[in-house]
Amino acid sequence: MTLLAALFSHYRRHPLQLLALAVMIVLATMLWTGVHHLTSQARASLDQSESAVAERQQVVRRDGNPVTVDDFVELRRKGLCVMPWLEISSPEGERVVGVDPLAAGCFQVPGGQEAPWGGELDGRPFVDISEAAELDRDQGSELSLLISEDHTSGDLPSGYQLVPFSVGPDTGELSDSFLLNLDALGVLVLLITALLVRSVYVLGLAQRRDSFALLHRFGVPQGRVNRLLVVEILMLALVCVVPGIWLGRWLATGLGSGFGQALEGLFDQPLYAGQGGSWLVPLVIMMAVVLVACLADFLRPLARGLAGGNRRSGGLVLLVLLAGLALSVWVTDLLWLFIAVAMVFVAAGILAPRLIAWLADWRSGHDRDLQARWRHRELSVLARRLALPLVALQFAMAMVLAVQALVTTFESTFDRWLSQRLEADYYIEVPESADPTLAVDWLADQPELAASGLWHRVIRGRATLLGGKDEGDARVDVFAIGPVGPLVTGWQLFESAPRPWQSLQQGQGVMVNEQLARRQDVKVGQTLQVTLASQSFEFPVLAIYPDYGRPAGEILIHPSVLPADFAAGFQSLSISPGNLSIEDVIDGLQRVWQVEALTIRDNRAIEELASAIFDQTFLLTRAMTTLTLVLAAIALLMMGWVFFSTRAWYFRLLVVWGLSRRQASAQLIRLSVSLTGAVALLALPLGVWLTWVLVHRINPIAFGWSLPMAVYPRFWLELGVLSLLIGLSIALLMSRQLKSPTVAPVNANAMAGGER
Amino acid sequence: MRRWIFICFAVVLAGCSEPQQEAGFAGLAGVAENESGVPFLQPGPGDRLTFPGDFGPHPQHRIEWWYLTANLKTADEEPLGLQWTQFRQAIKPRPAGAELPDAINWPLEAAWMAHAAVSFDAQHYFAEKLARGDVGHAGARAAPLAVWLDDWQLEAGSGNEVWRLKVAADGWSYDLSLSVNGEPVAHGDNGFSAKSAGGEGSMYFSLVDLQIEGTVTLGDQTLEVTGKGWFDREWSSQFLKSGQQGWDWFALHLDSGDKLMAFRLREDDGAFRAGTWIPDKGEPVALQPDQLRLHPTNPEAEGFPRQWRLEVPDYGVNLEVSAPPGDYLNSGLYPYWESPVSVSGSHGGVGYMELTGYGE
Repeated sequence: MTLLAALFSHYRRHPLQLLALAVMIVLATMLWTGVHHLTSQARASLDQSESAVAERQQVVRRDGNPVTVDDFVELRRKGLCVMPWLEISSPEGERVVGVDPLAAGCFQVPGGQEAPWGGELDGRPFVDISEAAELDRDQGSELSLLISEDHTSGDLPSGYQLVPFSVGPDTGELSDSFLLNLDALGVLVLLITALLVRSVYVLGLAQRRDSFALLHRFGVPQGRVNRLLVVEILMLALVCVVPGIWLGRWLATGLGSGFGQALEGLFDQPLYAGQGGSWLVPLVIMMAVVLVACLADFLRPLARGLAGGNRRSGGLVLLVLLAGLALSVWVTDLLWLFIAVAMVFVAAGILAPRLIAWLADWRSGHDRDLQARWRHRELSVLARRLALPLVALQFAMAMVLAVQALVTTFESTFDRWLSQRLEADYYIEVPESADPTLAVDWLADQPELAASGLWHRVIRGRATLLGGKDEGDARVDVFAIGPVGPLVTGWQLFESAPRPWQSLQQGQGVMVNEQLARRQDVKVGQTLQVTLASQSFEFPVLAIYPDYGRPAGEILIHPSVLPADFAAGFQSLSISPGNLSIEDVIDGLQRVWQVEALTIRDNRAIEELASAIFDQTFLLTRAMTTLTLVLAAIALLMMGWVFFSTRAWYFRLLVVWGLSRRQASAQLIRLSVSLTGAVALLALPLGVWLTWVLVHRINPIAFGWSLPMAVYPRFWLELGVLSLLIGLSIALLMSRQLKSPTVAPVNANAMAGGER
Repeated sequence: MRRWIFICFAVVLAGCSEPQQEAGFAGLAGVAENESGVPFLQPGPGDRLTFPGDFGPHPQHRIEWWYLTANLKTADEEPLGLQWTQFRQAIKPRPAGAELPDAINWPLEAAWMAHAAVSFDAQHYFAEKLARGDVGHAGARAAPLAVWLDDWQLEAGSGNEVWRLKVAADGWSYDLSLSVNGEPVAHGDNGFSAKSAGGEGSMYFSLVDLQIEGTVTLGDQTLEVTGKGWFDREWSSQFLKSGQQGWDWFALHLDSGDKLMAFRLREDDGAFRAGTWIPDKGEPVALQPDQLRLHPTNPEAEGFPRQWRLEVPDYGVNLEVSAPPGDYLNSGLYPYWESPVSVSGSHGGVGYMELTGYGE
């Protein structure tokens, strides 16, 4: 007990050090808990939106007539699990969906699909179907009959068929990929958190070196001191982690609730998963991180390396860096890729402070100006002594750079993906009994549509690709689109021959999707042997278009190429009616097809819905990374200030040497800004490399398709400015310290490990 | 059984309909008047049964059910218990003969719930279905009798003497033919069955002698079954008072040819008991609370009591009633116990037991 008291007496004499350590654990816990909470919420938001727009299947009549209550009764009496879905669109554009929760009971089997209304019929937008039917009297509506997943077409009575039913596009792997990247970033944040905690702890240990030496002289074995240190950090962690978790949750909830409100009204139901999440996960993880970060000295030699102990290992670390970089290029396995990322980060973390120190030393040797020489010498010392918080800031900046690029890339990809799929304002299914050529002729005869609108017909079917990369035949989806117009010519193509759309229109080739190009190693200009129905064709590849995660191989052709016996699986029309109203188009098509109802999708409404959901997720991700950066900056500020304080005596020498206080402050500003600027500079390549890994390596390995990579120099500039601000803040704090009474050099020497 | 479940069901549905006038338990102890001015009708002493009309629905009453239990045997003489129940819960009262609401408006004036269960070889299979009324996929008709919800259906053949019951659940099903013998037995006071000392109650009659044959399919196994069944019809607008905790109900076929229906409603201070003694030959006799003793043999045991003592001293009846080994919980929206039972003591026999309100 006496020994424990003696050990702790250090903190009684230096309460600010204890405070610094405690504050750092609290802040680090807050950071990671906040990030974890936001990530979980981003994931939950995306999951919920996916569930709300997930594709289901519906039953329709084969004769093209709309389904009615009688159809519902007939199907239910046959034992089929069918539920009504009555969608009303009011003139104000509000969406109301009437459902029958009693009929939906059979959908809720263990492991089955969630009810899209989540059990709440609160009018946002789901209501009991009797209420929707009431509204229906004066507004347009459409009854659909959803059928549970376990039914197949074979279960249906004749006269009915299954078709897909969805209220929005299925984002599929695009969102899975985004979530995988979020997880990877979560791990990175944990690493940054550990570095922040460790940086303060190591500083504290250095400051207590005298105490330990004294205890040793009194005969206390080193092992016993170490054990007591474990007890000490365990207690401190327990005391600080809990308020940190509380603060993190509070912060995340505060950040999140703003986004949550923005999300209300999207589906007219809250999609933002607000509270919830356990306390146990952050508690256990943060305790583990604090203990590992603080007691890493028992886990040598890695920690020593990070603390800048062994200088001779520089070559080895450089080798690790190069090996990590090489691995990241060559591996084809996700686990190895993560190992490569870890290698690069560890090596970069060890090398970055040394590089700054080495460059500063080198510059000081060539400086004629004494002040510059002093500044560079001092910078070298600072880079070594502040290695951990500097590395934490470097990692945080690299991460923010990567996330910014990733999120922007995903945003634009989602936008392009949405506009590629939803280019036209409306999508109209061709009923099975209808002749699409009648519609094509009718549409071509509409002068208003020709003048101001756009449309094309899509025929979907299957084809066989002969003699692919693996010498086998491959089944692919065929999309025959015509007439080729601005609805498709705006697609961003990865690669193309000259005037690809004109050639397509003339039936002089095919376009293939990215997935097919990757799998079969198809190049633009290459000739593909395609079997359509009973005939074989040879087509040159005109272009490769992005598919944003669609796993099936696709070819795009012009309908004129299709042989007469080609069996169309599904046909549709994409129409932007321009000055013609969609009602006129619907009336016209119903007339020529002689059907009472059409299946129509309002693509603009779906696009708006989907964009708003994705925006929410991106906002949360940006909030998460900004939080990381802010806290890393605060950590560096705090550490910088504590550490600069230990060297106040040396800084005061500047005044003794004859510099005015203003000139001394200017030197300090240049010193601290060089330090933070150097960190920002070193973060840049790491951030760009991380972006490349996320979009060009993780995605293809995990999902088989890639995202375009972009860099955003303007954001680099913003980060540069932020690093300068951190530097200026440190200098400002130091300048104030210069006014306080002199500190003895011996004191600083002892506290900082005695380096000059 | 069914009362308890239906009251819970009513509470859920109340959320979809007009606010309930809270009076007594779940608002059911008062005769609330609807906005339209049409009240729910409440049975009382003096009400009489009419046939075949009372086999059909009673849209101006709040709750009712059609209920069948059967003690069957397979070709190998293995006992097999079977249950089918269909409930109707009115949300809005409607006078008999009034025009039906238009199905195109998906009316929510009544809801239906069907339960089916098979108990065989210590295994219990249960399924539940729900539907709104007046749309068409669930309903009931008095003559010829038909009660249906989706593809589950009880339907009388021509002559109304042979009924067919078909149920198909996930992985199991049954298809039974029921020969109806004897006249309906009116319980209580000519069909008015009191459910508390205060006079709340229901209209209640039974067909107690059904000869059943058919098939029960459990997975890949199809069993030929024969045996006897018991069919109940009951309706009311008001059943239980606050303070009544649950319900224990028994319908027994004794080897002597006599039948016995007995129930008790557990209250804070004791229980309300009633029953009907149905001699093999002779007129049914309504049993007053003091003529009937009914209690679990081990009241301290946790969960559903599986062993009961049932005594009707006036008729020399002293029975030990036991559920077979196994778990017979009907785990639907409102779980309750529904099991076949065997009878020993002064008489041998078989029957069915239903228990609710044991903290399930």
